[in-house]
Amino acid sequence: MKSALKKRLEEFLFPARSSRWIGLLRIGLGLQVTVNTLSLWSDWGSLFAAKSDTFIDRELTEALLSLSAPFVPRVAWFVTLGAQIGLSEAVTLRVTLACLLCSGLCLIAGFLSRPAAITAWLLHLAARSSGGFTAYGVDNFMTIGLFYLMLCPLPDRYSIDRRLGKKRTLDPRLVGFLQRLLQLHVCLIYFFAGLAKCLGAGWWNGNSIWRALTRSPFNVISADLLLRWSGLLPLLGICLCLLEVSYPFFVWPRKTRNIWYVCVLAMHVGIGVTMGLYLFAFIMIVLNVAAFGADLPPFSRPPRDWLPARRAVVRA
Amino acid sequence: MLHRKQFYLACFSFHFLLIVFVGCGDIVAFIARGYTWLPGPFRAFAQKIETSVFAAFERVQPSNPVKQGITTYAHLAGIEAGYSFFAPSVPDNYKVVFELHYPDGRIEYDLPHASTRSGGLRLSTLIDNIGETDSDELREIMVKMLAYSVWQAHPEAIMIRAVLGFAALPTAAEFQRGIRESDQFVYAYDFVFPSPSDGRVP
Repeated sequence: MKSALKKRLEEFLFPARSSRWIGLLRIGLGLQVTVNTLSLWSDWGSLFAAKSDTFIDRELTEALLSLSAPFVPRVAWFVTLGAQIGLSEAVTLRVTLACLLCSGLCLIAGFLSRPAAITAWLLHLAARSSGGFTAYGVDNFMTIGLFYLMLCPLPDRYSIDRRLGKKRTLDPRLVGFLQRLLQLHVCLIYFFAGLAKCLGAGWWNGNSIWRALTRSPFNVISADLLLRWSGLLPLLGICLCLLEVSYPFFVWPRKTRNIWYVCVLAMHVGIGVTMGLYLFAFIMIVLNVAAFGADLPPFSRPPRDWLPARRAVVRA
Repeated sequence: MLHRKQFYLACFSFHFLLIVFVGCGDIVAFIARGYTWLPGPFRAFAQKIETSVFAAFERVQPSNPVKQGITTYAHLAGIEAGYSFFAPSVPDNYKVVFELHYPDGRIEYDLPHASTRSGGLRLSTLIDNIGETDSDELREIMVKMLAYSVWQAHPEAIMIRAVLGFAALPTAAEFQRGIRESDQFVYAYDFVFPSPSDGRVP
């Protein structure tokens, strides 16, 4: 009995999987890093300057971070490093941002995949840690995604690295194990998000949806227009609560997977469009697609023939 | 392979225990602080759990190497924060207005601003964090930094009053009755800066 349970657990945690999901995660995160970097281009200096002219000084956030986690990467490390070779803070910040942009572009292309994944994770983490008070959900989920990507066996079969001949036999069970990690993490994200919403009265009567959509700076839709559809808000709130809290239970069975997966993607598209949270919506879609969408259409069709790794018996 | 699998399983267990711990910490805190519709007995029970389990971790000295190791790993993996965005209820929208006083008695008003939408989102998050922080000292320091950045753009100002408030949002029914968003005062801070003739740096 015990060994049967152990075997089932092992089969669940270490399934043989292809690296398709890693390719999707890499390209998705590459796009996310690139667009996020470009969107911060003009504010980057203000966000991370030791004496900011718009935001809170980086040094305050870093001092607070040092109290609890002194070994977490931060922008000050790069500024200190830059100072040792004679670079000013402003130049170092620009170079850091340019490196982040390059790592995003490399991830999209799958060129130098592993160094690009590590660089993107390190620089993004440093920026997030130093800009703690200005960081929001998108930064959190980008760190999660980049952390998993960095651990993944790279290069995946869709990368330029593979075309350039960097063949590497990937253990399909390790690839499957890492996908399980991501899948379970995504499930826990929705479960706790849904449970917290279920505990708030406002999500059952539509008030929280109304507040979320009319609250600055998310008030993309005018309140007058929203009022016309206010009758639907309680239903929408209840659907959101139930969709999120039940996600870990219905995304696994084959019969319900497609419905929950598509509904969650639709929810994020809705959040992106109605609240202007495009980057947040995109990162959540990327994590969902990598976790559960890699084996579903439109990504489930066989890969194109030009990739040498296609000839492998176990497509890893 | 067996040893490798055991190693992966150990990492998996640690990683997911942390995620569950942080997620449960959020939920328990919401119940304990009465932010949910759950009745009193649940609140008392959650308060007990919060004190005995979650607060116990908080009470461990920050210099404790085990705590530092766990906290550092959580930051590296991006799992140090929970996932209760806009839950259990959508928080108030905090605002800061700066009242600039000039030597000739003139008064001007300014708002913190960013040059892009993305920067604006971050600025809004920052102001919400300032409004929600429990520490009066930290709040004052952060407001002072914002005021200083405003003073850099208006160096002739001799005093800046920073007013922190939140926007009370009407419900859909109230909005239909003509009630609109109203600004509620929370805190005000006065920061005195030297006049240009003083030649001093604040």
